[in-house]
Amino acid sequence: MSAADLTGLDAFLRIVGDDLGLDVEHPAGADLALTEVPGWDSLNLLRLVVLLEESGHRVPVHRLLEAQSLRDIHTLVKEYG
Amino acid sequence: MSTGIDHLRELRKRGLLEKAYDQVAAALAEEEPGGARADTAAAGRLLGGLDPEAVLSHHPATPVVTVAVTGQSTVGQVLDPLRGELARHGLLLRPVLGEHGTYLRDLTDPTSELHAAAPDLTLCLLDAETVFEQVPGVWRPEDVEAAACEVLDRCAALADAAPGTLVLNTLPLPLTYSRQLIDHRSRARLGAVWREFNARLLRLTERSPALVVIDLDPLTADGGPVTDARLARYAKVRLGAGLLAGYAREVAHLARALRGATRKCLVLDLDRTLWDGVLAEEGPDGIAAAGTLRGEAFGAFQTCVKQLASQGVLLAVSSKNDAAEVARVLADHPDLVLRERDFAAVNANWEPKDGNLADIAGQLDLSTDALVFADDSAAERAQVRHGLPGVAVVPLDDEPATHIARLLADGWFDAVGLTDEDRARTGEYRARRARRELHAGSGSHEEFLRALGLRLEVGPPRPHEAARISQLTLRTNQFNLAGGGLTEAAVKGLAADPEREVLVARTADRFGDNGLVGAVLIGRSPGQWRLENLWLSCRVLGRGVERAFVAVLLSRARRLGLHTVDARYVPTARNHRAGDLYPSCGFAVRRLPGSGEHGDGASGYRHDLTVLPGIPGHICVTESGKAPR
Repeated sequence: MSAADLTGLDAFLRIVGDDLGLDVEHPAGADLALTEVPGWDSLNLLRLVVLLEESGHRVPVHRLLEAQSLRDIHTLVKEYG
Repeated sequence: MSTGIDHLRELRKRGLLEKAYDQVAAALAEEEPGGARADTAAAGRLLGGLDPEAVLSHHPATPVVTVAVTGQSTVGQVLDPLRGELARHGLLLRPVLGEHGTYLRDLTDPTSELHAAAPDLTLCLLDAETVFEQVPGVWRPEDVEAAACEVLDRCAALADAAPGTLVLNTLPLPLTYSRQLIDHRSRARLGAVWREFNARLLRLTERSPALVVIDLDPLTADGGPVTDARLARYAKVRLGAGLLAGYAREVAHLARALRGATRKCLVLDLDRTLWDGVLAEEGPDGIAAAGTLRGEAFGAFQTCVKQLASQGVLLAVSSKNDAAEVARVLADHPDLVLRERDFAAVNANWEPKDGNLADIAGQLDLSTDALVFADDSAAERAQVRHGLPGVAVVPLDDEPATHIARLLADGWFDAVGLTDEDRARTGEYRARRARRELHAGSGSHEEFLRALGLRLEVGPPRPHEAARISQLTLRTNQFNLAGGGLTEAAVKGLAADPEREVLVARTADRFGDNGLVGAVLIGRSPGQWRLENLWLSCRVLGRGVERAFVAVLLSRARRLGLHTVDARYVPTARNHRAGDLYPSCGFAVRRLPGSGEHGDGASGYRHDLTVLPGIPGHICVTESGKAPR
């Protein structure tokens, strides 16, 4: 996965869903509270931190940990590149 | 190129993971491009949504490992890699997760959820905070030493209280603590205190059979940072993903070993696996395992293989070569560390390797899922994977410097503890081969037995033999007269019991020592022995040892002035072969007190010691311990 893959919301949701093993509906799942995403648990956020790191994104961890929805996270990814 | 992970992802999308769980291990055993291994943490995430019960309803025979996880900090992130690593070995994880920060209660409170789940393994993940949370904010090495002492006492107590096999780990020392001390003398002191703690933690395993301590030092030395500073601070993740992936792999190997699924034999290719060059093309002078840069790498690999063999791993060769030429090279090529005598079987021919591996398994009385196969050729590996899916395959490549790491990566031979018998196994198998040859060359079975020169020694066990006795009683199914076995702790406990006694049998013949092959648990009361159970390794059956052992016991009883010896046989699914042992030695049937109440089908026997059974003439008996002649 490269940085470019995650800039579009659809690609972001698909890849996050695949890698975390979540069933995220496109695009409605983006706005669900994270705790409402089917299969979500608190560890998913940690996995996501690692995932973004591995794919070259530099989102500050404390901001990711405060995110409420996948759209929030996607916005951070776009913001920090 | 489609990989094993892609295959899993596809199954998951189609909702077929539970139904196809039997394909998961094979998918993860597939090689990734470049011979890399699958990302097992990613596989574990994909498998995270699995319902274990649904898997079991499709595949009821799937082995399940219940693992309780607790610890100092955030520990749940170990489940993904653990689930993936267990899946690689066909095991299904049933996790029980403790509350964050409550490991003491989780482990010591018998009413906790962790205890209730009766886990096979209990992981208690410790990190530097386990010690440092008890150290003041402004500190000196002495403060750390005092805190470490307290933690060690706590860990020692946990080993006795935790359910199942408890797994602790050594604590990596974070650079961020070491560097808070600005002088080298204090840093050295901290380093020494820290390592003394870790060393004492590791030594706890010497007295607690149900404790395993995983040493994180080699894992961090190999795998980079212990954690990420931000995740440690914000999310209390003090052991990072890379380290936990390595830890999870060690735990999966442990789970496999505890299930008795340890591999027994390493089958090796020769050309470009054990030596540089191709024997059939370049001749003995064209191959090297010393003297050249690449040659030395192969030599180091051979030395590592020999080290495994010294611990009881059987070695075999499967190579596409002429048998005679291979025999010559193994006999006298100056470069070789491994020689013909190091191998329990050498199959050098031009037939497909899957057939050769099946043949090797047959020669050694092993099933093919006890084999590990290492070869540098991707084509040969694929052929074996396809033909014999039970065989574990080690992908070597054209870089011999990485052969050792690749061979050891999967801990195929990991065990909880080794016995002397394990270490002597290669010699034992060589002797077995020689015995078979003698048998084939003898005119009759009697002639074979006479030529064998069998010796039987009966007496009390030596103090260090508790582990071996336990292993024998737990692994023996066929000649186990009353079913069941003894844990090591139980064997040790018997030594202090005035009313019970264990005697053991050792055998040897002209081909070597079989070691401790039999044991009897005796209940003693005035004038009488009760043989509560008797175990005999199937390795020595068929040579009269079973009757000789009982005959020696009876003669010993008479010499001790006893009047009767009682015995019992409890039928199990596997021990019917032992059913007529006592009657054949002159025991009379007797009604058991309370028989019919237990419903275990037990038969009771009594010998009055008037007419003792004879000892077969081909067996030479010696006795030790207190028994007047």
